Amino acid sequence: MPSRASLTSGAVVVFLLGSALRADEPQLPDVLVTRQLAARAELHVGDVVTFASDANGTRAARFRIAGIYEPTPDPMRFTAARMEARMHLPDVIALTADPRDPAAAEAVDAINIRFVDPADRAAFQSDLRARAPGLAVTPTARAPEHDPFAVLDRFHLAISVVTVLGGTAFLLALMIIRAEERREMIGLLRLIGISRRSLLVAVLLEGFFIAVIGAIVGIAIALAGERMVNMIFQRRYDTALVFVRVTPSVALRSVAVAVPLGIAAGAAASWSVLRRGILSLIHR
Amino acid sequence: MTSFALAWRTAACYRMRSLLAMAGVAIIGALLFDMLLLSRGLVESFADLLNSSGFDVRVVAQEGLPVLRAPIGEAARLASDLRRLPEVDEVTLVRIEEAVLTGATGETRVSIIGSTRSSVRSAWTLLKGSDLPDAATPSADACPLIVGRHLAEARAIAPGATLTIRISAPHRPSALPAVACRVLGIGDFAFGNATEFAVATTMSALAAADTMRPGDEADLVLVRSRAEAGGRAAARAIARVRPDLHAYSNEEIVAEFNQNGFAYFRQVSIVLSSVTLVFTFLLVGTLLTVSTNQRLGQIAALRALGIGRLRIAAMLLWESTVLVGAGALLALPLGGLLAWRLDRLLREMPGLPERLHFFVFNSGAVVEHALLLAATAVVAAGYPIWLASRLPIADTLRREGVG
Repeated sequence: MPSRASLTSGAVVVFLLGSALRADEPQLPDVLVTRQLAARAELHVGDVVTFASDANGTRAARFRIAGIYEPTPDPMRFTAARMEARMHLPDVIALTADPRDPAAAEAVDAINIRFVDPADRAAFQSDLRARAPGLAVTPTARAPEHDPFAVLDRFHLAISVVTVLGGTAFLLALMIIRAEERREMIGLLRLIGISRRSLLVAVLLEGFFIAVIGAIVGIAIALAGERMVNMIFQRRYDTALVFVRVTPSVALRSVAVAVPLGIAAGAAASWSVLRRGILSLIHR
Repeated sequence: MTSFALAWRTAACYRMRSLLAMAGVAIIGALLFDMLLLSRGLVESFADLLNSSGFDVRVVAQEGLPVLRAPIGEAARLASDLRRLPEVDEVTLVRIEEAVLTGATGETRVSIIGSTRSSVRSAWTLLKGSDLPDAATPSADACPLIVGRHLAEARAIAPGATLTIRISAPHRPSALPAVACRVLGIGDFAFGNATEFAVATTMSALAAADTMRPGDEADLVLVRSRAEAGGRAAARAIARVRPDLHAYSNEEIVAEFNQNGFAYFRQVSIVLSSVTLVFTFLLVGTLLTVSTNQRLGQIAALRALGIGRLRIAAMLLWESTVLVGAGALLALPLGGLLAWRLDRLLREMPGLPERLHFFVFNSGAVVEHALLLAATAVVAAGYPIWLASRLPIADTLRREGVG
């Protein structure tokens, strides 16, 4: 059953009304502010700030900035300016709870639970639903059918497939030109007794080496592109979110597609020359 | 023989490589065309969706996108104040709740929309049955309903059926009593999506069903401006009389979404358009260069026969144009087909309105596509032209002859 539970008040809107530099008030509660909020409001660790539940300063409270943090990057909100602060739950409740509602001081938006054994989740869900009807008990992980990134993944895959198809057509055209260039040399090699099979193996090996070198160069370009894209977008949206990541699995998949394609394109283009008769190859 | 005829003969002579190059340009060009459609499609589709509701100003309690629900109190008085503005033609209050539909087949979660609409144009298109009564018209039904098409199909609901609905407050335990509602019609909701079920009712019926919130609260106020004033002027007028609220015209919402909400797709479109153009340039350029290198003897012979540098350059430019032009023409239908498939794929994203499209055809994209590929064809032909125009005729012929 549960190993740990934490209470959260979700996100509430509070207003930062002002700040003062390093006041000597030791009893003030601590607050953490995001790097973006600190930069916008020119806040520093140790500063005393005033938060209120509305812009008119209703139920204002003073806090001391205990730290500045980088908010966890959220791909769903990467364009939003992260003007956020984190304070202890009793402080949030004191700041935002409706004083006319006696239950407000006891209310939270969510309770996060971690299980000792994740397999207990379903039993716990049904047990809690039975004990507290009307309570929503949902897993924090997003179901695949509700995950927009699963759809984006498929979109990127579709674009990769189209790019590979286009690249393959060009590769074939180039290999055909190369094979045509070497027609007479192949004719001469056939004349001195080198078999079609040996020539085909040579072509396959050549295609393999070219494809491997091409794939390595491609990965190097992708790594350089990764840095550039991340740098541009992280600066543009003031976020620590990683937009592009060339993982070993992505690199391996690229090699796994590029190498067989390169070999196949080389073989297909060369076969049109290799299958011809020797006399035709040397124009006799 | 003209330069074009020479280029055409070359393309016909090396048929296989020409066809493969055209196929390559067609596939990459299709991707470029789709990225151009994507760069504007989502924004245009979103603007169409907003305008289709017939309202051009939205009033909310919070600045920016209403991520957190911020109710607007004393909504009836607000509506009456706004109606008196000379820039405003019509005002509709909207309230949205989560609810549970109970029945023999189990419970179904639905979104329930209450509105004080008083005109035919609304956020749904009636498919079957009759529409909700106007706010001013007294109704015999305490809770009349328009049921979304997907819910009607999933639960086999027809006009005249009675549904039992219980409002459920999000993140709060709710013990509100269930209410019996009569289905008046089946509708297609403009902002509805395939994975979520929705129903609509009158504002008064929703307020009566949800006693946890004050009855005179709305989540959103839709305003139709007078034609002579326009949405922006109406939004400014609303902001003047109610500075505590935030009024956005449709143009402002679209601009905001274009900047933030759709930023990802705009960036993808820019990055992929650039990559496809560079890719096309590199591939066509390489192909033409290799092909020119292979034909140096032929080109030198043509020069020796008296064909000038300019005609040779024009021939190579035509070769590039033929390859890229034919590929670009093929790219349009291919791109259309690919856009249709990619659009279907992206619209599987959860929570998206069904009527929202990512790829929307527009003639501007076709013109842009043609101009970009034409420029690529010219640039790609640059190096082979330079190579051919500075060719030493005698040396090349001797070398080719000895070879």
